[in-house]
Amino acid sequence: MSDVIQREEFGEVAVLHITTNSVDAISAAAIELAATSSAMRPITVLDFGNVAFINSAGISSLLKFVVMSRKAGHKLFAMNLSPHHQKIFKMVEMSRFMPTIEERDLASYR
Amino acid sequence: MERVLVNIPSNPLFERVVRASADEVGQAIGLAPERIEDLKLAVSEAVNNAIEHGNHLESSKLVEVVFALDAEKLEVSIRDQGHGSGPIDFSRRIVEEQNLESGMHRGFGMYLISALVDHCEVSSSHGGTTLTLRLYRKEQSDE
Repeated sequence: MSDVIQREEFGEVAVLHITTNSVDAISAAAIELAATSSAMRPITVLDFGNVAFINSAGISSLLKFVVMSRKAGHKLFAMNLSPHHQKIFKMVEMSRFMPTIEERDLASYR
Repeated sequence: MERVLVNIPSNPLFERVVRASADEVGQAIGLAPERIEDLKLAVSEAVNNAIEHGNHLESSKLVEVVFALDAEKLEVSIRDQGHGSGPIDFSRRIVEEQNLESGMHRGFGMYLISALVDHCEVSSSHGGTTLTLRLYRKEQSDE
């Protein structure tokens, strides 16, 4: 669906695997382009398993997903966030809008 | 004191070069992995700020980064070639519900810098702005 996101869908769930390892000013535009209502499902999960770095420009681009999911009344989660990125998300309270979910919690939807 | 100098044009792509340098310097002086991640993020924010707000993305203007190491600390200075800045706000910024729709999502950078390093200071003149970050190599004690 985009250079930086691969989409997987099952049941009511869309998992958006972020494929760039750096969520920053360079990748932000492509990430924002991928934040469309058609990409989302009632449960949308952003998978950060491949992401090694996120800065504030990257956080801003991720907020597009927050806005789109709230408009649609969907739930948005983050998966496979590193402990460092969990810390940063808590610092800016991103975790309020995109709480973390474990991969095993999605098993029942598959 | 040892110094590592990295100069980049004001293109956001080259922020990644400085970030990679921060990673190497942090590893070379034995910072803990989490501290290296803090350093990389703080340096990234400072460099992006210099590129965007200091040099206004004019690629002919350089961002000069100096990593200065001694036995006690790592000091990183990030200097732009702009015309100086007003007071810089390091206060806490969070994602706020009322700003989501408007897209006013920026402004976390300075808060993150101040929260992730041991000390930061700004000096600004008509010749540019320098942001200096300091990380102590060992945890500071209150004693």
